[in-house]
Amino acid sequence: MSEKKLTAVFFCDTRNGQTDTVDIPAIAEYVKKIPDVAVIWDSKTFPTSYINKIVRKIKSGNIKRIVIAGDMPGLVKNTFTKAMYLCGNNPKDVILASFKEYGAVTKADTECAKAITACSVLGIPFELAAVPDENPGHPETLVIGGGIAGIQASLEIADSGNKVYLVERTGTIGGHMAMFDKTFPTLDCAACILTPKMVEVGQHQNIELMTYCEVKNISGEPGNYKVKILKKARFVNLATCIGCGICVEKCPTLVPSEFDSKTTMRKAVYIPFPQAVPNKYLIDAENCRYVKEKKCGVCVKACPVNLCINLEEKDEEVEITVGNIIVATGFKIFDAAKMEQYGYGKFPNVVTSLEFERLVNASGPTEGKIKLKTQNKKGNWLFTKEGKEPQSIALIHCIGSRDIHYNKYCSRVCCMYSLKLAHLVKEKLPESQVYEFFIDMRAFGKGYEEFYKRIEHEGVHIIRGRTAQIEEKDGQLLLRSEDMLNDDILEQKIDMAILAVGLEPREDADAISKMLGISRTEDGWFMEANSNSDTVTTSKGGISIAGVCQGPKDIPDAVAQASAAAARVIQSIITGKVKKSIKNLQLENIESKAKQLSNVI
Amino acid sequence: MKERIDPNLYNDLEKFGIDVGNWNECYHCGNCTATCPLTEKGSLFPRKEIRFLQLGLKNELATSAEPWLCYYCGDCSKKCPRDANPGELMMSLRRYLTSIYDWTGLAKRIYTSKIFEIATILVISLIVMVLYLNFTFFPSGEGAWTGNDGGVLINKIAPWKRIHFGDWLMAGTLAFFLITNIFNMWLNIIVKDKSVKVPFIAYFTEVFSVVINFFTQKRFNKCDNDNKPYWVIHLFLMLSYVMLFTMIVFFLQWFQTDSVHPVWHPQRLLGYISTIGLFVGIIYFINNRIKKAKENSKYSHYTDWTFLVMLFLTTLTGILLHFFRINGMAQATYITYLIHLMCLVPMLTIEVPFSKWSHLAYRPFAIYFANVKKSALKKQVKL
Repeated sequence: MSEKKLTAVFFCDTRNGQTDTVDIPAIAEYVKKIPDVAVIWDSKTFPTSYINKIVRKIKSGNIKRIVIAGDMPGLVKNTFTKAMYLCGNNPKDVILASFKEYGAVTKADTECAKAITACSVLGIPFELAAVPDENPGHPETLVIGGGIAGIQASLEIADSGNKVYLVERTGTIGGHMAMFDKTFPTLDCAACILTPKMVEVGQHQNIELMTYCEVKNISGEPGNYKVKILKKARFVNLATCIGCGICVEKCPTLVPSEFDSKTTMRKAVYIPFPQAVPNKYLIDAENCRYVKEKKCGVCVKACPVNLCINLEEKDEEVEITVGNIIVATGFKIFDAAKMEQYGYGKFPNVVTSLEFERLVNASGPTEGKIKLKTQNKKGNWLFTKEGKEPQSIALIHCIGSRDIHYNKYCSRVCCMYSLKLAHLVKEKLPESQVYEFFIDMRAFGKGYEEFYKRIEHEGVHIIRGRTAQIEEKDGQLLLRSEDMLNDDILEQKIDMAILAVGLEPREDADAISKMLGISRTEDGWFMEANSNSDTVTTSKGGISIAGVCQGPKDIPDAVAQASAAAARVIQSIITGKVKKSIKNLQLENIESKAKQLSNVI
Repeated sequence: MKERIDPNLYNDLEKFGIDVGNWNECYHCGNCTATCPLTEKGSLFPRKEIRFLQLGLKNELATSAEPWLCYYCGDCSKKCPRDANPGELMMSLRRYLTSIYDWTGLAKRIYTSKIFEIATILVISLIVMVLYLNFTFFPSGEGAWTGNDGGVLINKIAPWKRIHFGDWLMAGTLAFFLITNIFNMWLNIIVKDKSVKVPFIAYFTEVFSVVINFFTQKRFNKCDNDNKPYWVIHLFLMLSYVMLFTMIVFFLQWFQTDSVHPVWHPQRLLGYISTIGLFVGIIYFINNRIKKAKENSKYSHYTDWTFLVMLFLTTLTGILLHFFRINGMAQATYITYLIHLMCLVPMLTIEVPFSKWSHLAYRPFAIYFANVKKSALKKQVKL
């Protein structure tokens, strides 16, 4: 270092009341020992609102540099920059040490936070000092989750000539994207984009597709992970099934179809959807009468292939060894019944966006005709082709998103898919009235704003002010909303209301994060190594994340992230090395490396 | 209209509220307004008020009648996706507006300083005591205390004419302040709003709304649709208060008698009914506030408590006074009479023109002014 500059470290404690946070007093204690540190300031006692007092403190301590450490140190940077300027110091000597940026959040990350602060005090970027060692890496890769992100990542790696295990929980790959009718903003048919990729995965010689499987346990270390995979009993032999469908005809058990968002029924032996990969039947153990009660067994008798259906099949476990893992486990949609004011589950024609997505789809319950639900003889409300056409449809944004009581974050895709659904309604029912009730229209992506304008020109009524409640009146839905831009209160009768539900981490996200040893954000999404400069790897070496499991995103972003994650994996396969976890680094090592670097500079 | 932005508005208003301070959280989804059963075109709330607050439009807030149109069912706060607490904003705005209408500045002091409020109550209490001891015939001899000379003779100690004079003096003062404050309210809501020109006739056509809303509080009923007891108890409490007030201020000669009437006598019957109305109401509201049972009783400003406690003490001493009198306990009666006055007078003087109880006038008048404006607007549109 050219000259010795006295440094002040300011701890910006922005968390109130949370207990599981980094131990700031311990960090302060540690930082004091670094030679240049002259004084420690704590935001709880420091007069951050009075710039004159700060100036006095800087002058009296002869401080030449200030390090602001904390969760969101950027919040107070302006004040200190100004104070430094007023003191005649270089305003550029205000340096941030952001814990959150490097994923140091909980008490267990205190050592990491110490290292981050130390690096800032020494003037060395944390990434340069905290370089983990490398292990020799196994060339095979595990991809968890067969949605669009998992498919994309698998294809990228497999196309580079490397072996991929793609593990999917359900009977087919495709994920949520397979359920969508169209994509925004180009209005391409989602299946037309996705199914060729699915088929490619199914046929790729480098991809070992493991559907209806779950990752049970992971051991070993980066570069050499031993993964235990549970192969759930499928009861139908994948190799011999010819896909004739006779078993389905004979099966007596009806179950709501997951693929059609429960708008249609399937049998206990089923194929998730006609384009499924692998295009083979499976039996759902939870609903099969033979598996449950040892009765029935009709499918076995009906099956034309000898020994194809084996109802006595048991789950088995296999173990594989991989060098890298890509997690692409996706999301679940918000449970709209939680928001009682919208009457989802109570009023038949209040539907979620995913249900509507199936309704407008040509392979959906009404072959793509938009109909209201009708009541059958048993009293259940179902979509049928004989139903009435709705005259008016309302789309309500931000269901379960941006709401302190449910999910605080913006789900990012709802605004655009709502506009897309509005377009689909207008396309199929040009005479109908379509209303969108939004809070803020987030058309942030490439071509999105233009798409928004286009939908506006199509005659969709886009109203600022989210509907507050839905009631039923005279067989129609009564919506009450504020039309903010018109200074009015609206009470409208509508035939069908679509709730634009947000995205949530899956129920098993916590179990997966614990199994893999990666951390999650407070919203429950998997945490990336660095929120700015490294959004695909995690703090655990050899594990990358892609798609919505990292945070809500649309299809283009999920695909881009999957490719980025695949690039990281390919990089590691080519070099034959996998980085160890950052969290395993010893504090002394980071510090000595940083000191070494600072001497060079 | 040219608007001046007051950057300190938020801080100023916060002093009138409980420490809930998150009105800046609002991102204007409009759920509060759309949930509100009382809002309608022309008087949209509470989102609009939050907007005024966030922008620092002091004038817009000072001239709006909307805070008085809200009866605080709390649905808006319950449904708010940001926990911005719009219901509590409307409550704080009512306190703020009370201080805006009050030209003496006392309301602001009472609402922003606990010490000032308590000191004022004590001072008025002491004044009442001094006046009572000077202008009535507080017993000095032993005979008077025991009541042996012909039972409990309140009218001998505190002749109704003298008390009546005091009543009128107090009522006149209160009326003066309250009426001038309502005049101020009128200036704010109607005169300062240049967008509407109110024809003189509109004041007459809408005058019934004051009376109807005062005696039935039908808007309150509309607001509280899933919790009827709240409205019933509040209405009963208010009517009981009006009944007792009328009997004391206008018919004291008939109400304060030395001879004990039989139970079925209208004087006693009316007294009992009103007392029950007051007491049940007070207990109900105190209980609500302690338990924080409803959205509107979750946050209690200290003035809410002083109002309830003073009202409770007044009612309690009134009941004791009656009990002692009919049981011939002269000494206890005379002392309780003094304590009763020492609670009643400061309660009325502070609460009616300057604090929480002013809403008994502001609410119906705000509805009146809002209706006047609305009918004027309708005519303007027709022209």
